[in-house]
Amino acid sequence: MRFSAAAREKVFVAALLTPGLLFVVTFAFYPILYSVYLSLHRIVLGIPSLGRPFTGIDNYLRLLEDRVALHSLINTLLFVFTTTGFEILCGLIIAILINRSFKGRGIARAAILVPWAIPTVVSSQMWRFIFNDKYGLLNYIFYGNDTHAYTAWLAHPATAFAAIVIADVWKTSSFAGLIILAGLQVIPDELYRAARIDGASPWQQFRRITLPLIKPAILIALLFRTVDAFRVFDLVFVMTQGGPADSTNVLQFYGYKKIFTEGLMGYGSTISVFVFIISLVVSLLYIRVVGTRLFREK
Amino acid sequence: MQEEIIRLFELEHPDIKVVREIGPHSSTAFHDLLTQKLKNRSEDVDVFLMDVIWPPEFGAAGWAMPLDELFPPSERAKFLEGTVLANTYRGKIYGVPLFIDSGMLFYRIDLLRKYGVTPPETWQEMVTQAEIIVSGEAKEGSELYGFSGQFKQYEGLVCNMMEYILSNGGEILDKETGRPGLSGKASIGAVDFVRKHIIGKTAPVGVLTYQEPESLDLFIQGKAVFHRNWPYAWQVSNDPERSRIAGTVGIARLPHFPGGRSYATLGGWQAGVSSHSKNSKAAWEFVKFLTGEKAQKIFALKGGRPPTRKALYEDEEILESYPHFGDMKEVFITAYPRPVTPLYPAVSNILQRYFSTAISSADIRLENKAREASKEIDKIIEMGK
Repeated sequence: MRFSAAAREKVFVAALLTPGLLFVVTFAFYPILYSVYLSLHRIVLGIPSLGRPFTGIDNYLRLLEDRVALHSLINTLLFVFTTTGFEILCGLIIAILINRSFKGRGIARAAILVPWAIPTVVSSQMWRFIFNDKYGLLNYIFYGNDTHAYTAWLAHPATAFAAIVIADVWKTSSFAGLIILAGLQVIPDELYRAARIDGASPWQQFRRITLPLIKPAILIALLFRTVDAFRVFDLVFVMTQGGPADSTNVLQFYGYKKIFTEGLMGYGSTISVFVFIISLVVSLLYIRVVGTRLFREK
Repeated sequence: MQEEIIRLFELEHPDIKVVREIGPHSSTAFHDLLTQKLKNRSEDVDVFLMDVIWPPEFGAAGWAMPLDELFPPSERAKFLEGTVLANTYRGKIYGVPLFIDSGMLFYRIDLLRKYGVTPPETWQEMVTQAEIIVSGEAKEGSELYGFSGQFKQYEGLVCNMMEYILSNGGEILDKETGRPGLSGKASIGAVDFVRKHIIGKTAPVGVLTYQEPESLDLFIQGKAVFHRNWPYAWQVSNDPERSRIAGTVGIARLPHFPGGRSYATLGGWQAGVSSHSKNSKAAWEFVKFLTGEKAQKIFALKGGRPPTRKALYEDEEILESYPHFGDMKEVFITAYPRPVTPLYPAVSNILQRYFSTAISSADIRLENKAREASKEIDKIIEMGK
């Protein structure tokens, strides 16, 4: 039997695509669909006699009434807004700094990425020590040897929350910086030269040339950071376990507790699906904005 | 120590080989990992250790094999009663007690003697004694706090708070009705006492971030007069290499409120056999050996872990090395289990949130928070029926 050239090419293309597709289906689509499936059932590991009855959207209705879920949603949103805001700002500063040429720039660029390369669990542990009430570095910097003045940063709801924000900003600003740096590097030098000839001040150059041209990069950094911040878990797990007074409880941590500690597979999955939907909506929104902008430029 | 016991076991049973797997230090993290395996019907777990609060859950979920025939009442009678109860759920027994733990009060013998006081009977007495000692020592320039315990939002918080509530005549879950007792006057009073007189007063406010290691650290640095912990702290605080206060540590029953009696939260570890084990016979042999007198004695002598077998509290060799075990037995007899329900983890998370909120702020209306928490617990219990 013989195939036409076109048919053969189709088979070839399909063969090349299959492994990648299988990978995505197994590791992305299947878990997502399975979570959705679980979220529509009532499954309590501690009571197997319950079986796994289908309950429709019951779990979702329960989620709407769940005081703790609402509280952790607010915490999560607050965390997302503050961290992404600071991270973009710090990232911008980092990017501008390491875009200039100076001696040792290579080392500086590498060094700035170190926080991002450290596993979050490790850096969270480090920050937990820094904020420690008895031997923490932060207390030492503020109060030196006056140990009576030492503050228990992680013991107060507001400062504990600030602590996880700081730890996250420290860790991921450089990632935002890296993306923005990529945006900076494609700006042609002629634009600045022309601006200088026209007598534009450095501030004007920044506002009128740099900022508009790196907007797409900033948006991409924002997208990555927002979606990532919604999934915050390890920081909370290591630093505070959601306390004190539940002030650092975030959605993903709450969902984790439901599934792994309490054995509420169905309800816990509902929380995960909820986080997934939020991330999806946010991503679609950003992609639309970024997409049209890039399109218009072309 | 564990290796030694495994070696001894393998010598006695040459046909059985034991592979030891080490889990996370935190009980909650260990629970999450182990239940994940059991839920997936993993066959690589034959024998597991259970924290004292797990047997009902493991039994109800069908993860732990019922041991009624292998571990008959005549054998059970050789163990401390509370530990056997903790392994029993709906009339069946799911584990064999290995170590017992219970909350107890550690204090500085030297400081109490210096100020002419004896270990406190009531919480109020403890607060007053701590005030006198701390202010006295402050004049001499030493940095000292009155008390350290575990008040971070985690399982240990429930253990600590339970001791205040029960010793005030309050309760977490009513024994007869099974309904939450957080809104009761005695329970509210006890929580109010903790937030007004312990957190940020007798104890540094940092205890809100302390689990066992951090709180013990404060004590062995010589910076706390009183300390609430599990028995292992005795070993650590008397080890001159790690502790600045070795040799000056006393233990006592936890204080109570006037009119109440002292309560200690029961802790400890049990050995269970997985329902999915393909080697359940060999697994049981190992459990029997692990919880037997010989192994428990090694754990006691080498690790300072209090045994669950009554007879070992009269063992001369153990009492010689650990004279305090005699006193500890007193505490162990009164040790009180946490609420017994397969949904305990869910109940505990509600309690943790409530207690942490209640003691982190001095102006929250406890009654409202207690009512909210009770409602949530009711819902969970309803689900378990």
